[in-house]
Amino acid sequence: MEQSAPMSGNLKIETKGFSAFYGKTQALRNVNFSVPEKKITAMIGPSGCGKSTFLRSLNRMNDFIPGFRMEGSALLDGEEIYGAAVNPVLLRQRVGMVFQKPNPFQMSIFENVAYGLRIQGVKSSSLVSDIVEKSLRAAALWDEVKDRLKGSAFALSGGQQQRLCIARALAVEPEVILLDEPASALDPISTARIEELMQDLKDRYTIAIVTHNMQQAARVSDYTAFFLDGTLVEVGETTKIFTNPDDSRTEDYITGRFG
Amino acid sequence: MAEARLPEKGLSYYRQIRNIVLGSITGLAFLVAVTPLLAIIYVAYDRGKEALSLSFVTTMPSGFPVGIEGGILNGIAGSLILIVLASLLSVPVGVWAGLYLWDQSHTRLAGVTRLLSDLLLGVPSVIWGVVGFYVFSTNTGWGLHWGFSGLAAGLTLGFIMIPIVTRVTEQALRDVPRSYIEGALALGATRFQVMRDLAIPAAITGIGTGILLGVLNVLGQTAPLVFTNYYNTGIPHSLVGSNGSVGDLAMQIFIYIHEPSKALHVKAMAAALVLTVIVLLLDMGIRLLSWGSRKYARKG
Repeated sequence: MEQSAPMSGNLKIETKGFSAFYGKTQALRNVNFSVPEKKITAMIGPSGCGKSTFLRSLNRMNDFIPGFRMEGSALLDGEEIYGAAVNPVLLRQRVGMVFQKPNPFQMSIFENVAYGLRIQGVKSSSLVSDIVEKSLRAAALWDEVKDRLKGSAFALSGGQQQRLCIARALAVEPEVILLDEPASALDPISTARIEELMQDLKDRYTIAIVTHNMQQAARVSDYTAFFLDGTLVEVGETTKIFTNPDDSRTEDYITGRFG
Repeated sequence: MAEARLPEKGLSYYRQIRNIVLGSITGLAFLVAVTPLLAIIYVAYDRGKEALSLSFVTTMPSGFPVGIEGGILNGIAGSLILIVLASLLSVPVGVWAGLYLWDQSHTRLAGVTRLLSDLLLGVPSVIWGVVGFYVFSTNTGWGLHWGFSGLAAGLTLGFIMIPIVTRVTEQALRDVPRSYIEGALALGATRFQVMRDLAIPAAITGIGTGILLGVLNVLGQTAPLVFTNYYNTGIPHSLVGSNGSVGDLAMQIFIYIHEPSKALHVKAMAAALVLTVIVLLLDMGIRLLSWGSRKYARKG
């Protein structure tokens, strides 16, 4: 299969012949894919196509799933993500993740954002306060919560909780942020805020987003990848994928003929 | 062709009757479930009220046969000593084992550990008692030769508690949502940090309930005490060796009710009421504590 137009800029993440298995089930087949630096790359495809598995492979969140196994190569800045010398804990500090359902911790708003610093052993309370404020501002949540930082994170709305989770991920200053359907549990207004936020963040972070929502992919991303049955069908600039895809299966999917 | 029609709106007689019958069965089941508690309190109070007074719980037994005068302070103090000893052994071991089973849940060793722990749950307490006797108490053959003593009984009860605490701890941790754990792992937390900062705080109510279940179980154990401690009407000099036995409420009730004395039977029932009230207070205490720990809890 012919790969689409080469991506511009530095490649932050690159996979070569990447396959993944859950026990005997193969979830990903021979994926050759790159995530360019400081761009937004969207992954679309029908349920079960492997896009989430792929995303979760990039910060080794699948390591916790019994029976998970990978083959091939996945590189972060040219270094093997699955290399023997790589400590997954340190990897995840560089490659953060936001999940489908907002999952704030059972702590105050402040402590939710501070948690990533605390586990790294940051002791200075002024430094922690500064970073918490900076992260909440970056996640466009500061004005809404600055008077209730000691309040429970569960008192926030779903959209606010998700932005809190983004702030929490930003606080540890990752290089890459993986978003696993971050707006699928949110209402349209909260979704729009998350999408705006992604645009603000892409100057500083490399973002990879899995989404079920093709309009969302078209709106927010620079590059789009289409997955089907565990294979990467096509990847390219978002405008091209949505207007003039090379593969007829991509066209069938984005025009709503299946999926 | 006949016109397809929905049945008339409203409940059929059959469904109405079924509702009434099932509703009644539910109500009846509830009554049968709560009646024993009320019955225990009523019977113990009615049969023991003559002996109830503040001094009954603040004085040691005296007179002849011993207990005919005085109260049950020996039993209350002894039961507390046994709970503390049993908990000192079982809480760290049981919680640690529960954490291990949760963290390593898919490994073969965890599977074997879980199986053995569940088997221990089913061992009758009289067997724990006789094994405790040979290991801790007897003065012949091999063993620790501690005699009938508080330490022998406390440790035996502790071993009975371990599988209870293990099981409930693991279950409480499993109830912590997976997404919650992943949130912390994705920030670069180690498994230990996730356990300490998120999993345990989220499961602490369940773990506390498990410990309480174990304590309540131990409070009511009589058979193991027959073989490892028996009973003491006075104050033990130590927890090991001769005169190392402690008093114990369950044994006290058991012994008093076997004496041919109406006054001791009354005291046995009064002691039963005290034991029941201690159990209820402990239960309410842990519930209050768990409410207090829910400051940041999830809604709903």
